[in-house]
Amino acid sequence: MNRSLQIRGALCLVILLFSLYLLLPTFRAASFSAEERAAALNDPALKAKIDAADMKAIRRGLDLQGGMYLVLEIDITGMSPEQAQDARARVREILSNRVDQFGVSEPVIQSVGESRIIIQLPGLQDPERAKNLIGSTARLEFRLLKKPEDTQVAANRLDEAFRRLAETTPRDGGQAAAATEDSLAQDTAAAAGDLALTAGDSLQDPYGHLQTVDPLDHTRPAVSDSLRRQFPFSSYLVPTPWPYFAVLEQDVPAVQRLLAAPEARVIGRDIEFQFGMEREMLQDGTVARMLYPLETTVALTGDRLTIARERPDQNRPGNWTVAFDMDRMGARQFAKLTGDNVGGFLAISLDGRVKSAPRINSRIPGGSGVIEGTFTTAQAADLALLLRAGALPADITIAEERTVGPSLGSDSIRQGVRAALYGSLLVILFMLVYYGWSGVITNIALVSNIIILMAVLAQFGLVLTLPGIAGIILTVGMAVDANVLINERIREELRRAKTVRAAVQAGYQNSTRTIVDANITTLIVGLVLWNFGTGPILGFAVTLCIGIVTSMFTALVLTRVIMEYISRNKGHQKVSV
Amino acid sequence: MEFFRDPKINFVGAMKPVFTISILLVIVTILSLVLHRGPRLSIDFTGGTIVQVRIAPVPDIAQLRAAVENAGFVGAQVQEFGAEDEFLINFPQMQTDLLEAAQVMMQRLRENLPDYQIELRREESVGPKVGGELRTAAANAIALALLLIVVYIWFRFVFRYGIAAIIALIHDVTLTLGIFSLLDLEISLSVIAAFLTIIGYSLNDTIVVFDRIRENMKLRRKESYSDVINRSINECLSRTFLTSLTTFCVAITLYLVGGPVIHDFAFALSFGVVIGTYSSMFIASPVLVFWYEHFIAEKKRAGASM
Repeated sequence: MNRSLQIRGALCLVILLFSLYLLLPTFRAASFSAEERAAALNDPALKAKIDAADMKAIRRGLDLQGGMYLVLEIDITGMSPEQAQDARARVREILSNRVDQFGVSEPVIQSVGESRIIIQLPGLQDPERAKNLIGSTARLEFRLLKKPEDTQVAANRLDEAFRRLAETTPRDGGQAAAATEDSLAQDTAAAAGDLALTAGDSLQDPYGHLQTVDPLDHTRPAVSDSLRRQFPFSSYLVPTPWPYFAVLEQDVPAVQRLLAAPEARVIGRDIEFQFGMEREMLQDGTVARMLYPLETTVALTGDRLTIARERPDQNRPGNWTVAFDMDRMGARQFAKLTGDNVGGFLAISLDGRVKSAPRINSRIPGGSGVIEGTFTTAQAADLALLLRAGALPADITIAEERTVGPSLGSDSIRQGVRAALYGSLLVILFMLVYYGWSGVITNIALVSNIIILMAVLAQFGLVLTLPGIAGIILTVGMAVDANVLINERIREELRRAKTVRAAVQAGYQNSTRTIVDANITTLIVGLVLWNFGTGPILGFAVTLCIGIVTSMFTALVLTRVIMEYISRNKGHQKVSV
Repeated sequence: MEFFRDPKINFVGAMKPVFTISILLVIVTILSLVLHRGPRLSIDFTGGTIVQVRIAPVPDIAQLRAAVENAGFVGAQVQEFGAEDEFLINFPQMQTDLLEAAQVMMQRLRENLPDYQIELRREESVGPKVGGELRTAAANAIALALLLIVVYIWFRFVFRYGIAAIIALIHDVTLTLGIFSLLDLEISLSVIAAFLTIIGYSLNDTIVVFDRIRENMKLRRKESYSDVINRSINECLSRTFLTSLTTFCVAITLYLVGGPVIHDFAFALSFGVVIGTYSSMFIASPVLVFWYEHFIAEKKRAGASM
C-alpha cells in the first residue's frame, strides 16, 4: 500500500471522527426531554448542562424553534446623515434594553442599511406582547388639559371651518343649505345645550378613573343629519363631567379624519386633540374613546424619569399602576407645574395617546407620581419597562414581520426530520439495489456527507431551517450524482477490459472534471441565493452550498480511498460495480 | 443492476416534435399567465399579511370565512392548510398599521368565535415597501444567476454551449412558472429559492452531457456533429436517469411528508427535477445541433464555396 493512500485514508478518518465529535453537543441537546428542560428552570446545575449543550449544538432557525423576525424602519425624514446615524444607534440601544427583558436566550439586533433594524427573537413565547414592547416609541409626555372655555372656542372654530368647507363643496348646493337653515334653529339650540362643557363642580374623583364614565346622566341622543351639518365636529363629542369628551367608537375614524384635515388648522397652535389609549364603556353600554384637548407645550417628558415600577392600585384591588420617580431637575419642574395648576388636569400621554388625565389636587414636591389606568400586572410591568428603557428618538414602523409559534416550530422539525430520514433511506436502498457492493461505498459517502455537513453547521454557528433540511436532503440526492458518475465511468472502463485497478484509476480521473464543473454551477446558484435570502431561504442556501462542497469531498476523496484500497488488495478479482 | 445497456436513442432526430411540444407548453404558460394577469405573487412580494391558525373544535370553513369578514377583513382569503383544523388567512395590505393588522384579526376572531380555541401558529406581514424590494431582489437574483452561469459555461466551454444551456434553463423556469400559474399556486420567496435550485440542478445535468460531448468531439472527429451529440447523450443516459430518479425521490418525499409550510417549495423542486432532466436531454443538446447547423456549418460552407 503506498504512502499517499495511507495519508489520504488517515485524513478522511480524522475528518469523520472530528465531525462526529463536533456533533456530540447536538445529540446531547436533542436528548433532553421537554420535562428536563422545564425542570432546569429551578435547577441551576441541570440548566448549566443543557445550556452548554445548546451553545455548541446546531442552531435552529426561527421557523424550527418558533420565534419572531422583525424588520423595523426608522423614520429619518428630515434628518441629516449624522443625525440619522445617531438616531439609529440610539434606537438600537433602546431596543436592546427592551429586548433584554424578554428572557430570550439569543436575541439578535442588527442595523441594516440607512434606516432599518432587524430583530430576531428565537423561542419567543408571546409575540403579541413583544410587538407592543418593540413597536412603541414610548414618548411619555405630561401636558396640561386645556381650560373648557378655550376648548369651546376651538370646537366652535372647527365647526365653522368644516361647515364652510361643506358649503363650498357643491355637493348639495347653496340653496339646499339655506333651506335647511331655519329648520335647524331648534336643533341648534338643543345641541348647544348638549355641548355646554361641564367642568369642575361635579368632580368627586380626584383622578379621572375612566373605566366607566359613571356620572354621565344622559344617554347620547341620536344625532340627526341636520345637526351634524350644523356642527360637523362637535356633534361627535359626548360631554363628560370632566374637561374632555367621549367619542363613540364608530365615530373615532371620522373624528380622526376631521382633525387631520387641513381645515383643522384653524384651531391654532396652542391646542391639540389626542385620543385616549383604551376603549371605555359608557354608562349606557356603548363603547367609546375619550378625546382630550391638550396644551401643545409639553410640560415634562419621560426623559426626566429615573425609576418606573409597576405597583398594585391601592384604591382598586386587582388593578395595577405604574409608579415613577424623577431626577432632581424633573422633580423641580414637576413641583412648579403642579403648584401652579392646582385644580387643573394633567394628561399623561404615551406616543400620542392619553393614558390618564388626573386632576392636580395639590403641589407634588418629591418628583414621584403614579400613572393610573386600567392595567393588568403584565401591562403595568411593560409600561414601566418602556419608561425605564427610554423613548425612541424617532418613530419606527414594522416593515416586515415573520412569527412562528413554538408548536408549529416543533411540528416543522418533526416533519423535516421525517422527510430527511425517508428520503435518505430511499436513496440508500436504491444505491444498494442498483450498485450492489459499490453501492455500500456510495452509501458510506452519503452518510459521511451528512455528518460532515452537519458538523460544519454546528462548528460555524450556521442556522438550520426547514428549507435548510430540504437542502440537506437535496444534497443527498445530488451527492449520489457524483458517485453515479464515477461508478458509471468505472463500469465503462471495465467494459474496455481494463483491470479493476486501472479502471478505478481511470474512472476517477475522467469523471473528476465533470463533477467539478457540474457542481460549480450549482454552487454559483447557491451563492447567489445566499446573497439574496434571509431567514429560512438563507438556511437553504447555506446547506446547499456546504453540501455541494462536502459531497465533492466525499465523492472524490473518501470513496476513492476506499475503492483504491479494495482494488489494491483484491484488485485482480471482479468487483460488483 | 443496470437500466440501460448501450442505449441508442435518437435525441437529435426527435428535435422537431420535442421543440414543438416545448414551444406549445411555453405558449400555454404565457396564455395562462395572461389569463391570470401575471403570476400569483404571495404577500412576500405584494405586501400583506398571512395568519395561520389552529382552531378547536374544527369549525366549518364557511363559518370561519364569515367570522373573518365580520371582523372587518373583507377580501381576505381563508383556506384549509395542511390539516383539517388548520387554516391560512391571507389578506392584502390594510389601512391599519402593519403592527396591528394580525393582532386585530386575532382579537376579533376570538370575539366572533367565542366557543373556539384559536391558536396563532404563524404570522407573516410584509409592508408594501419591503414587498417591492423583495420583488426587485428576487428578479435580480435570478438574472444574476443566469448571467454568471452563461459566463462560467462560456469560459469553460464555448459561447454556444452557454446559449444552449441558458435556453434550457429559461425553458425550465418558464414551464415551472406555467404549472404554478395553471394550478393557481402562489409564488413566494421559497418558491423563488426553488426556481434557483432548479436552475442549478438542470444545469448540472446539462453540463455532464456537454462535458461528454466535448470529450467525444475530440475522440470521434469523423462522426457528424449530430451523431456525436446523440452518442454523448446516450452514454450519459444511465447516469442522468439514475441521478434524476434519486433526486426526484427525495424531492417528492419532501413534498409528501415535509409538511405544509414547504409544500409549494417541494412541489416546485419535484416538477423542476423532471423538467430539468427532460430539457438537458431534449433541449440543451439539440439546441447545440440547431445552432451548429444554422450558424456555424453554414458559415463553413460559405467559407468553402468562396
